[in-house]
Amino acid sequence: MTDPASFEGSALDRTVAAHPTLGGSGSDWHALVQQHGSPLLLLDCDVIRRQYRKLAQALPDVDLHYAIKALPDKAVIATLAEEGCSFDVASNGEITLLEQLFIEARRTIHTHPIKRDSDIRTALRYGCTTFVVDNFDEIEKFLPYRHRVALLVRVSFPNPGARVDLSRKFGCAIDDVHALLAAADSRRIHVKGLSFHVGSQVPDARAHVEAIERCRDVIATRRERAVAPLSVLDIGGGFPVSYDGSVDDIELFCAPIRAALAKLPPSVRILAEPGRYIAAPSMTGVASVVGRARRGARMWYYLDDGVYNSFSGQVFDHTCYPLIAPDARGQAQPSVLAGPTCDSIDVIAEDILLGEMQIGDVIVATMMGAYTAASATTFNSLPRARILTIAPPAQVDTQDSNVVRIA
Amino acid sequence: MARKEFAETLYDSYGQHFAIDEVYFESRTEHQHLLIFHNAKFGRVMALDGVVQTTERDEFYYHEMMAHVPLFAHGQPRRVLIIGGGDGGLLREVVKHRSVEHITKVEIDAAVVDMAKTWFPDHSRGAFDDPRFQLVIADGAEFVRRAEDAFDVIMIDSTDPIGPGEVLFSHDFYRQCKRILAPGGIMVTQNGVPFMQLDEVRKTARAFRDLFTDWHFYGVAVPTYIGGMMTLGWASEVEGLREQALEVLEERFRLAAIETRYYTPAVHRGAFALPRFVEEAIGK
Repeated sequence: MTDPASFEGSALDRTVAAHPTLGGSGSDWHALVQQHGSPLLLLDCDVIRRQYRKLAQALPDVDLHYAIKALPDKAVIATLAEEGCSFDVASNGEITLLEQLFIEARRTIHTHPIKRDSDIRTALRYGCTTFVVDNFDEIEKFLPYRHRVALLVRVSFPNPGARVDLSRKFGCAIDDVHALLAAADSRRIHVKGLSFHVGSQVPDARAHVEAIERCRDVIATRRERAVAPLSVLDIGGGFPVSYDGSVDDIELFCAPIRAALAKLPPSVRILAEPGRYIAAPSMTGVASVVGRARRGARMWYYLDDGVYNSFSGQVFDHTCYPLIAPDARGQAQPSVLAGPTCDSIDVIAEDILLGEMQIGDVIVATMMGAYTAASATTFNSLPRARILTIAPPAQVDTQDSNVVRIA
Repeated sequence: MARKEFAETLYDSYGQHFAIDEVYFESRTEHQHLLIFHNAKFGRVMALDGVVQTTERDEFYYHEMMAHVPLFAHGQPRRVLIIGGGDGGLLREVVKHRSVEHITKVEIDAAVVDMAKTWFPDHSRGAFDDPRFQLVIADGAEFVRRAEDAFDVIMIDSTDPIGPGEVLFSHDFYRQCKRILAPGGIMVTQNGVPFMQLDEVRKTARAFRDLFTDWHFYGVAVPTYIGGMMTLGWASEVEGLREQALEVLEERFRLAAIETRYYTPAVHRGAFALPRFVEEAIGK
C-alpha cells in the first residue's frame, strides 16, 4: 500500500522551513493545535482560487464543473461559485450542499451513470436537467421525464496508465454508442452530448486526446445522419497534481488537449469535471504524536489521525501524501507512523527514516485536499479531523459546521 | 448572496428568465423550495422547485378558464370541490358564481394558504373569508378517497407531476373523483403544455377514456406556462355539457354579471377546438 521508497530521503527527515501559506516553524503548528485541537485539516480557499484559475487558463472555453465528491466542503463550493465555476453532482447529498449555498441549478450537471428514480426526481426538483447515462436501462429511466431532460452518453476508453482507471466500472464501449443513441432517439429522449473519464492522475494527456478524437468521429457521424447534433463534450477529469514535490505544469499538460479540442466543430460546448486538481493542494493535515514505542529496530509513533480518517485516501485513492516532521530531532532511524485505531492496517508510513519525536510533536501532511476528508470514517467512534478554513468567501456561515475562520 | 435573476429549470434546452427586483420570501424544506419575488413585467411571481406556479399579472388566464368553463357549462352548480390551488385565485373566480352554495378546498399544506394571503392578496381578494367556503388541510387524494358527499364541479388545480402533486394525475385518483361527482357533474384538471410535454395529456386521456362517458381537453395560453397553449382536462358522465350552445352560455354569463378579463362565452366555445397533434395524442 504505502510505498516506503517514496518517503526515503524526501521531506520526512527534514524540518519544515516554511509552509506554503502558513509559513513559520514547528512552533506555529503547535500553536494551531493548542488553539483548535488535533487532528486538523487546514483548508486554504486561496489555493482553491489559484488552482481553478490555473486550470481555467489552461483550458479556455471549457466550462469547468468542480467534482464535488473530491472535497464536498461549503467553503470550497462557495469559493468556486464566486470564481464562476460550475458543478458536477453525483448524489442527493451533494445537491443538498448546493441548495444550501443557493447555487443556480443551471450551473450543474448530474454525472452519476447509475441513478434511482428518486435521484432523478431530486435532481429535477433542484433544477438540474442534464444527466449522464451509459446503458439502455438507464435511458429507459428517463422516459417519464423525457420532455425535461437532456442526456450525455458516457463512453469508456480503457486507460491502464491512470492511477485510478475509471473505464471498468462505468462507460459504454465506443462501438456501442450509436446503438445507445438510436435507442434514445426512438424514445424521443434528447441526447445532447458525450462524456468520458480517462481516469485519475494520468501521466500525460494522450488518453484525453485519443478520447476526444474518437468522440469527434461520433459527433461527425451523428451530424450526418441524425436530427439532433451532439453539442456537448464532457472531457471529465484526470488533470494531475504532484504529490512528490515536483512542479506540476498544467499549462503544458493541457496543450495537446487544447489542440485536440480545436478540431471539434466550434458549436460543440466543452465541459470538464476537475476534482483533484482543484482540491488536492488546498488542505494540509496536522496530526499529533499521542504515543510511541520501540518495537524491534523501529520506532513506532502513534498519531491521532490515520487511514480511517484524513489519510483514508491512502487506501481508497492510492495516494501517499508528502509528510513533514517539523519536530523530529537527531539521528534518523527506521520509524513507523501509525494511526489511532485498533486495526493494524491503520499505518500511514512504514520503514521511513525519521529523527526522534516526542509525545505532542506534530506531523504535517500536505496535498491533503482531495479524497481525504471526503472519505474519512469515524471508525472506533473517533471524530473526523476538524477543518479550519483560511480565506473563505464572505458568505460561508461558519456557525453551522466544524469550520473555524483563522484568517 | 442575493438573487438577481430567476431562470426556470423546467426544461434542459429552453426556458424563461426573470429579472428579480426583490425577493420577498424564500424557504427550502426537505420537500420543496419556494421562492416569491417581484418582476417588473409579471408582478409577484411564485416558483416552486424552480418552476413558475403563478404570477400576479397573468394568473387570470388560467383561473378564469378553469373556473368559469365548467361552472357556466353546468348551469346550476351548487357544490364545488377544489383540490390544490393554494394561492386562492381559482377560489376567487368560483365565489363569483351566486348559484354556488358550498365550496370545499383541499390543500395539503396550511402554510401555502397563509403564504398566499400574505404575498398574493389579489389572488384571493377576500375569497378565503367567503361564508360558503370551507378549507380542509389534507392530502387531496386521501380526501377524495374518503369523501362521501358529492360535488357538481371538481377542479384539480395541481402542480407539475413531479413532487407532491404527482398522485393527482393518477388513474386511481380520477376514479375516486368520478365516484364523488354528482349526477351531471363535471371534473376539470390541469394537464400541462402539450407542445412541451405531450405525455401528460396522453396519460390523462388514457385514464379518462377508461373512466368517463364524455371527456376532452380545452386550451388556454398562459404566458408564464411557456411553450404555447396549455390543456385543461374535462371529464363528465353527461354528454353535451361541453358543447353548450353559445346562446346558452351567453345568457348564463349575462345573468351571472361576472366581470372577466379572459373568459367570454365565445372563448369558452372555441377552447375545446384542439390542434391536430393534440387530438392525435389523445386518440380522437
